[in-house]
Amino acid sequence: MDKQTPVEIFMPPNMLKAKVGGAGAGLDMGAVKRAEAAMINLKTEFNDWINADVANLTAARDDFVARPGDETRGTLYRASHDLKGQALTFEHPFIARIASSLCKLLDGSAEAPGSLIDAHVDGVRVLVRQNVKDNADPTTTALALELEARVSEALAAA
Amino acid sequence: MSGYRFDRLKIMVVDDNVHMRKVATTILRAFGVIQIQEAHDGGSAWKMLSEFNPDVVFLDWMMDGMSGFDFTKLVRTSPTSPNPYLPIIMLTGNSSIECVNAARDAGINEFLAKPVSVKSVMVRLTAVIEHPRPFVRTPTYFGPDRRRRANNEEYRGPERRADNGATGESLRTGS
Repeated sequence: MDKQTPVEIFMPPNMLKAKVGGAGAGLDMGAVKRAEAAMINLKTEFNDWINADVANLTAARDDFVARPGDETRGTLYRASHDLKGQALTFEHPFIARIASSLCKLLDGSAEAPGSLIDAHVDGVRVLVRQNVKDNADPTTTALALELEARVSEALAAA
Repeated sequence: MSGYRFDRLKIMVVDDNVHMRKVATTILRAFGVIQIQEAHDGGSAWKMLSEFNPDVVFLDWMMDGMSGFDFTKLVRTSPTSPNPYLPIIMLTGNSSIECVNAARDAGINEFLAKPVSVKSVMVRLTAVIEHPRPFVRTPTYFGPDRRRRANNEEYRGPERRADNGATGESLRTGS
């Protein structure tokens, strides 16, 4: 490449296509059906997994309260971020929503109020204990809206 | 049914959460993938890379230890990388534009936002098989062409725009 050619674009050999073959006509729906059946079997474990993830979040919150600092805050953020991504996969939409709100709070304010962090963590614990999965549940919707509003206020004040 | 021989693929799943690894590996095994290597962070994945030599990596972005960002940069640019062209599909719970841009700039091929579903995994896997991105080398970037989503993916003719960042003089294609 000379000094007049700062951009080089090339297509590497498609070894993947050569390896797997296939007609290239779109998604392999047979494989999709097999995997969806496997996921139905896996769902029996989702409750145990969400409980473990919520326990991890609670421990991270407790650690942050006991030893506030960047390290414990980072661990708490990662625990809430994990839950935000995973709870939807594990069919707990409200837990994902509240974990997302907690991420936003921790992301946007270095001095996030401890009581507001607690409210999120405690809310998640109640949801998992009561196994709330209905994403139209009015009480849980009110809880989520309230937490999100408080986070917006905290971030505006930060 | 396109009838891919997924049994011929070697796939690495990198996630610090054991449950998410279980979800991903369950889906991949049901697709027919036999050879799956799990890693709990980018550092352990990097150490296993030469020996396992995966065809595709599913990579979580935010992990304790080496992040998905750092792992991707190593794969693309390290002189000791066993395969700089390795297809990397990023898994993340953060689909903000900042996160997507950071992942794209690190050199990921495809972006898979959680929640993970069977169909979303199949769509991304099919994308790296059927529609691999060209690679770009500039003084500041090496990795899949980041412009594909912005441009018309279906267009296969010559570039005619003067402002596409690469003119006939400055663009090398082929190999």
